[in-house]
Amino acid sequence: MKILKLPKEKLDLFASVVQQFGELHAPVEQDGRYVFKRLTRWSDARLEYDRTILPPKKYFLPPKETLFRYRPGEGFVPHTDGLDQRIILFGVHACDVYAINILDRVFAGKYQDPYFQARRKNIAIIGIDCTPDKQCFCRSMRADFVDHGFDLFFYDTGNYYQALVGTALGDDMVLATGNLFEPVDAADIEAYKQRSIDKRRAFQLDVEIRDLPEIFEMEYQSEMWEELGARCLSCGSCSMVCPTCYCYDVNDDVELGSRAGKRTRSWDSCLFASHALVGSGENFRGTREARIKFRFYHKQRGFVAEYGRPSCVGCGRCTSACPVHIDVVEVIDRLRRVQDVASR
Amino acid sequence: MSKPTVGIFGLTGCAGDQLVILNCEDRLMDIVALLDVRDFLMASSENDTACQLDIALVEGAVTTRRDAARLLAIRQRSKALVALGTCAVWGGVAALDRGQDRARLLDEVYGEGHPDYDSIPAQALHEVVPVDLNITGCPIEKEEFVAAIAALLNGDVPLAVEYAVCTECRMRENNCLLTERGELCCGPLTVAGCGARCPELRIACVGCRGPVDDANSASLVKVFEARGFAPQDIAARLRTFAPQGVTS
Ligand code: SF4
Ligand code: SF4
Ligand code: SF4
Ligand code: SF4
Repeated sequence: MKILKLPKEKLDLFASVVQQFGELHAPVEQDGRYVFKRLTRWSDARLEYDRTILPPKKYFLPPKETLFRYRPGEGFVPHTDGLDQRIILFGVHACDVYAINILDRVFAGKYQDPYFQARRKNIAIIGIDCTPDKQCFCRSMRADFVDHGFDLFFYDTGNYYQALVGTALGDDMVLATGNLFEPVDAADIEAYKQRSIDKRRAFQLDVEIRDLPEIFEMEYQSEMWEELGARCLSCGSCSMVCPTCYCYDVNDDVELGSRAGKRTRSWDSCLFASHALVGSGENFRGTREARIKFRFYHKQRGFVAEYGRPSCVGCGRCTSACPVHIDVVEVIDRLRRVQDVASR
Repeated sequence: MSKPTVGIFGLTGCAGDQLVILNCEDRLMDIVALLDVRDFLMASSENDTACQLDIALVEGAVTTRRDAARLLAIRQRSKALVALGTCAVWGGVAALDRGQDRARLLDEVYGEGHPDYDSIPAQALHEVVPVDLNITGCPIEKEEFVAAIAALLNGDVPLAVEYAVCTECRMRENNCLLTERGELCCGPLTVAGCGARCPELRIACVGCRGPVDDANSASLVKVFEARGFAPQDIAARLRTFAPQGVTS
């Protein structure tokens, strides 16, 4: 992996050059929160943001999309509009890159999803390092650092951004800027290491995930699930804002007066009463208790069994989005019986 | 195949849902071409008021004995009865005070010694006759209406929305009025389908579409109380569009 550095005052110049590789999108402010959006001016970008309301997932798996149009007797035509659009996501945090890597395992592994894959190919990612706040626990989830899944990744080391080059495209971006980037020297390496220590110390949340699937297995009958079920509103906010929730629902939008139409998919959630409802009228998770429990089991246990790690990356979005304060870290701590949850 | 015969009716309501049908401008000619609309007082002065109907679309709540009798007559001449709009589906605004003493309410509005008005506690259509399909909304959404007609013409039942306004609100990446600003937003209890129109405009959801399946109002009420709202204000908000017993 190539490691270079970019003087901070050259970032604007870099941003203007890099636009030849795609439309620039970055976090911008929206009423005190942040959202990834197409930039009209580079000065709108807020690279010091905490977290965006929706994760970058929305670019790869949009909330609602058309898959194909069909007409009886004629078959179907895939809907490919926009799939080849070249976009650069500038300023993606490590946990969110990690989450996209997790989505890769789901949509580009055993089951190949051409829509996701086309977007993944055409959307470049320039990551940026961040400082954890009181809701971040990505370090506990081993998602505070990524070694792949981005084209470039910037670390703030004071006067420079130290840049990891992740792909050939990232390398092209560097080359296109002429000599903006410089080689790193011994002082830069020290600055990076110091930054790494400072970041580690900045974490305020810590949760132990070792042997967690086993504890979940043993605590299937825990009374806590009943209590959480009584509190949960099934509002679905937690799944919508989660960078690794990938459930979707498939529907046909039928044209008026014919049997033709378009097949769409939209984000779904295991918290919805209809998520496990099947044709016979049977509902495998009819109670809210069963559904909220399932959310945690899928993230922290089921996904581990299938893919070797929890799908949660510790971004903290679901905790801040939940109207009834259902908090992942607290749930895990309670299952583990960590006594002083409040004093944490 | 012959076109299905259709009647469109209004009981006690604001006629807003019937107006939405007429407002389907670009689709209206298609709708009229596909349906044989026989009885639609709001749009036509020449109606067949006795024919058999394949589909009856009924707006408004039942708030008088006359409404109840009309609804029974409509039910008897229709194969399928569709409740159109929140009043027809849930009782709506007309039902917001239905726990109260009717005689006292009449005195309050018309003064003591008023004539004997035909007035009964407001009811949703399903409380009076069997209803085959609900299309909620205050008023209904054009897209949902057209999609329902498209499905019915194919002999299908349109898919019911079974998630809350929050879901659509989050999909649109709005700032949350409840968690960020502590507003009395009914999004978590209200059935989606409106695209979170109000929160999108930074206005808290008032629940105008009625409750989502399995709405957990007890839990949300606790959140509102913890945020300092008075119980009577919370109750008033929750009961505006769906009567007590449905939401809390
Ligand atoms: S479960 Fe919550 S904390 Fe974990 S990745 Fe999803 S939104 Fe983030
Ligand atoms: S099952 Fe639930 S937790 Fe798992 S991806 Fe789907 S919505 Fe997310
Ligand atoms: S955000 Fe909270 S209340 Fe809403 S579905 Fe998720 S856990 Fe339940
Ligand atoms: S603003 Fe209202 S509808 Fe939107 S997410 Fe928040 S509570 Fe739900």
